[in-house]
Formats: sequence, structure tokens, C-alpha cells
Amino acid sequence: MENRASGARRWTFVVALIVGLGLAAAPVAFQMFTRAPKGGDMIDAFRPYMTNAKITRFQRDMRNIDAAMREARAQMLPALSDKAQLDRAAVDSQFASYAALDKQWKAINADMSDMLRTMHRDLGDFAAVDALPPFKLFPWFFVLPGLMVAGFAGWGLVRSRRRDAPAARSTRAPAVALIVLGLAIVAAPVMFQMFTRAPKGGHMINDFRPLMTTTKVQRIQGYFLVIGAGEGTIRNQMLPVLVKNGSTPAGLAAQLPALTRFSHDWPSTSNQMAPMIGAMSDNVDNYLAVDAMPPFPLFPWFFVVPGLLVAACGVIARRGSRAEPVQV
Amino acid sequence: MKIRTRRSQYAAVFAALALTLSLAACGSSSSKKSSSKTTTTAASKTDTATAGGKLVGLFKVTAGDCAGGAVTAGSYFRMVQSGGTVEAGPFISNADSTCGDKTYSALTPGTDGGLTTGKYQPQPDPPFDATKNGIADKIVQPVKFFAVGFAMSTNDKDPTSGTSVPTPTISADSSGKLTGDVRAASVAWNGQQFNQGAPKPDGSTPGGTKVLEGTYDAKTGAYKLQWTSQIVGGPFNGFTGVWHLEGTFQKS
Repeated sequence: MENRASGARRWTFVVALIVGLGLAAAPVAFQMFTRAPKGGDMIDAFRPYMTNAKITRFQRDMRNIDAAMREARAQMLPALSDKAQLDRAAVDSQFASYAALDKQWKAINADMSDMLRTMHRDLGDFAAVDALPPFKLFPWFFVLPGLMVAGFAGWGLVRSRRRDAPAARSTRAPAVALIVLGLAIVAAPVMFQMFTRAPKGGHMINDFRPLMTTTKVQRIQGYFLVIGAGEGTIRNQMLPVLVKNGSTPAGLAAQLPALTRFSHDWPSTSNQMAPMIGAMSDNVDNYLAVDAMPPFPLFPWFFVVPGLLVAACGVIARRGSRAEPVQV
Repeated sequence: MKIRTRRSQYAAVFAALALTLSLAACGSSSSKKSSSKTTTTAASKTDTATAGGKLVGLFKVTAGDCAGGAVTAGSYFRMVQSGGTVEAGPFISNADSTCGDKTYSALTPGTDGGLTTGKYQPQPDPPFDATKNGIADKIVQPVKFFAVGFAMSTNDKDPTSGTSVPTPTISADSSGKLTGDVRAASVAWNGQQFNQGAPKPDGSTPGGTKVLEGTYDAKTGAYKLQWTSQIVGGPFNGFTGVWHLEGTFQKS
């Protein structure tokens, strides 16, 4: 009877030891020590841009540019034709950067607007991920409890083999420790609101997948250059042609308000846009590292399942020690 | 015996509770996420250079002349698009360039008259005006690039990486061939910093980066030099700046 009870107790400690070591080793298996800090870097880099104010501002800028491009077609090109005898073919050959923007704008606007919509939709998800504990600490949330579980389990295992003292009493302490520790591990995701935040993180990671590729980032770099070159051509070359042919700057400002606003706002738009493209470009590798980690929605369960196992081992070991008659 | 067991139990429970509390403490989430970048290893500084073929002084910059479209004489800047080459381009078209060929941005001398070797020509603090134009103007005057001014400087700590870098050095051999190290060259544009040195601050020459080379006539002091520097990181990651300076050297 005594042998069976102490044997069962030993097994529970062995199971807890394996769970503890597994928990401690998980970050190494998932390369969390390198990947998680990259996730933190990415969150830091995107924080300035993942705000409602910033994204609605970009969306407004896109709408303004769209209005300017429509106005250019509807007002500026006819004016160039009337006043400077520049037909569409002449415009395309003399103002190649404008022609490139005009040709590509529809696609640029659609792609950029789609990206901004995605970012806007993910604001809540980003905030939830940002509210999680710092990414660089993630591996330690596995390692520390894992080692503690392994330590208590090892302690219980050693004690259960002692012959000089009643095994039941000597394993009670490690068993209770395992129960408390197991419950703490189960409680951790609840405390960190992981059950709500982690799936949001997973959703954001999925949404960002098409955006965070080298190809996509290079395409957006290209959009920036096309828009900037087009704006500069309108401001420095095309509008001066109209001035040279009788228009006044004040008259043009009144006649072409959307184009005037485009040129007025562009440096400021560029101030905002360039660093965001930089952040995207600099974080493609960081995104890939995060994307390579286990799916975010699973993270709470990486605590709950081992925690319950550890607590169950503790309970079984504790029961065994209570059931076993104490030898005097 | 019983007392010992109880103590052990209390100790174990205390340890488990301590872990729980420490996990909870780590969970106070939202604040503390500064993205401070660490500085990397400091390069050795070579502040003065007078011996041998080292040319220590001012490389006075002659303004770029692009009356014919492209810059045909004098100093200029061009930027090669990502994936392109210095020889074949494609080059970015800067609609704010004063040249007919918008892929050239002519450079004009700054308040110091040009590039100084053996000494830094640092950017001011802050390096930008309210609209994020770079305002350093010692080497060359800021140049409008996509509606925003870019400004060149040389700094003891590279503003992009935080790495300590030596002062620019340029040497001429007996045949007048120039070589040099301008890893301290940096450009401020649009609220961002771009290292535009060759080699890069860590001594590497990634992608289209090519160290300084050129010619020097010891009799007249006339020089022509060029280096290229690939941008690493940021909005123009993979793009390469081409720096072509011409003028006369004035020994300090």
C-alpha cells in the first residue's frame, strides 16, 4: 500500500518535472529569445503611426491628393491646352513625372487607401498587443515558472525517495508549492488579459501579412516617389507655364484650390509619410520574426494547460501524502 | 519534525506567491516602451593629418552647372533607385532640381565653402526647421528634394547609427589619384537622418557604396572626387546617393 502510494507520488513529481522543463525550454524551441524582442521593436516603431489621428490624417491627405488629381485633369490640363497650346501628348512628353502620377494615381490611391483602412481597422488590435507585457520579457514568462516548477518537482522527487523520514510528510510542501505555482501559471493569462488581447494580436499579424513584405514596402516607396515627383512637376513646371501665359499665382490659387492645397500640404504629408515608410521598411524582418512565432491566440493556452497539469500533479501528490499512514 | 514540514510548506507557498506577484508587476503594460537605440562600437578617430599624401584643408566646392540639362561641370548629387546601379540608374527624378535633367541636383558651396578634411562640419542642433527641412549649410547649401530641403554635414557621431566616426580624410598619391574616407558624411532630410558616407560608419560598403576616388592636380589645386553611399534602413532603404564634388583644394 505504502509502496504504491509513494510510487504514484513519485510519478506525479516526474510529470511535473517534465512539464516544468518543457515550459522552460519552450522559448528556446520557438526561438523566442530572438523573435520576441524583434516583435517589441516592431511595436515601438509602429506606435507613432498606429493612432486614429495619424491614420485619419493620412486618409485625408489621400483624399486631398485625389481631389488635386481630378482637378488637374478637369481644370489644369484644359488650361494648358488653351493658354499654352499643350495637348495631352505634349503634356505627357514635357511633364513626364506628372504623366506618371496621373497614370498611376488610381492604383496608388486604391492600394494606399486599402493599407490605411487595414491599419485603421487594426488600431484596437494594436492597442491590445501594445498593452501586453513587453515582448522581450515573453520568454522569461515561460522560463522562470518552468524552472520553478521543475525545482519544486525535483524537490518532491528527492523527498519522496528519502528513507529516513516519513515520505508523506516530506513531500507535502513541494506538492502544495506545485498547486500554488500551477494556479499562478493558470492565472497569469487572465491577469494579462491574454484571452482577449492575444487573439487581437493574431488578427493584426494576419492583417499586416500582405503589407509587411519587401515587395510591398518597395512598392510604397515607389508611390512616394511618384507622388512627390508629380507634385514637384505641377508646382515647379506646369503651373509656371500657366503663369507665363497670362495667369497670376493668386488667380491660379483661386482657380485650382485642390492643386494649391496639394502643393501646400505636400511637405507636411511627406514629413509624415516618409518616416512611416521607413518604419515599414525597417521592420519587415521584425514582422517576419513575430509571424514565425506560434499563433498569438494559442499563447494563453501555453500557460493554462501546463499550469493545470502542474496543479493537478500537486493535488495528486498532496492527496497521496494525506492518504498514506504516517510511520512512527 | 512537524514544525520543519510546516516551515517548508510556508516557504514553498511564499515562493509561489512571490512569482505570482512578480508576474503581475510585469503586467503593468502600457508605459515604458522607449525605443532607445544603443550606440555601437566607437571607431578610432584620426583628427589631424599633415604627413604624406593626406590633404588636410578645405575642398572648395564649385557649384554645379546644369545649363545644358544635366550637370556638366561642378558639383552635384544624384540618387539611384533601389536595385539600380550608379552606371546605369535608374535615378530618382527630383522635381525641385534646378537642372533640366531632374535626376541631377546641383550643389552650391555652403558657408565654409566646401568639405573640410581633418575636422567635422557638424549639423546644428536642432538639425531641422519647423517644416523638417535640413538646415546644415557649412559644406553645401541645403537642396530641395521632393519639396523638403536636404542638408549635408559631417559629425563625430553618425546621427543615423550613433557610431563614432573619424573626421573625413582624403589623400592623393604621386599621380594625383584621390582616395579617402568620408564615413562621417550625413544628410538630414524630412526629419530623418541618412548616413551618406563611404565606407559606412562600421567600415562596410554595402550594395552600391563605393569609397571616395578622384583626381587632384597639385599645381592648380583642382580636384574632382566622387563617392557613392547606399542608404541602409528608413524610407529610402536600398537607394544609393551619388556625391560628385569638384573645385579646388585649399590647404589649411
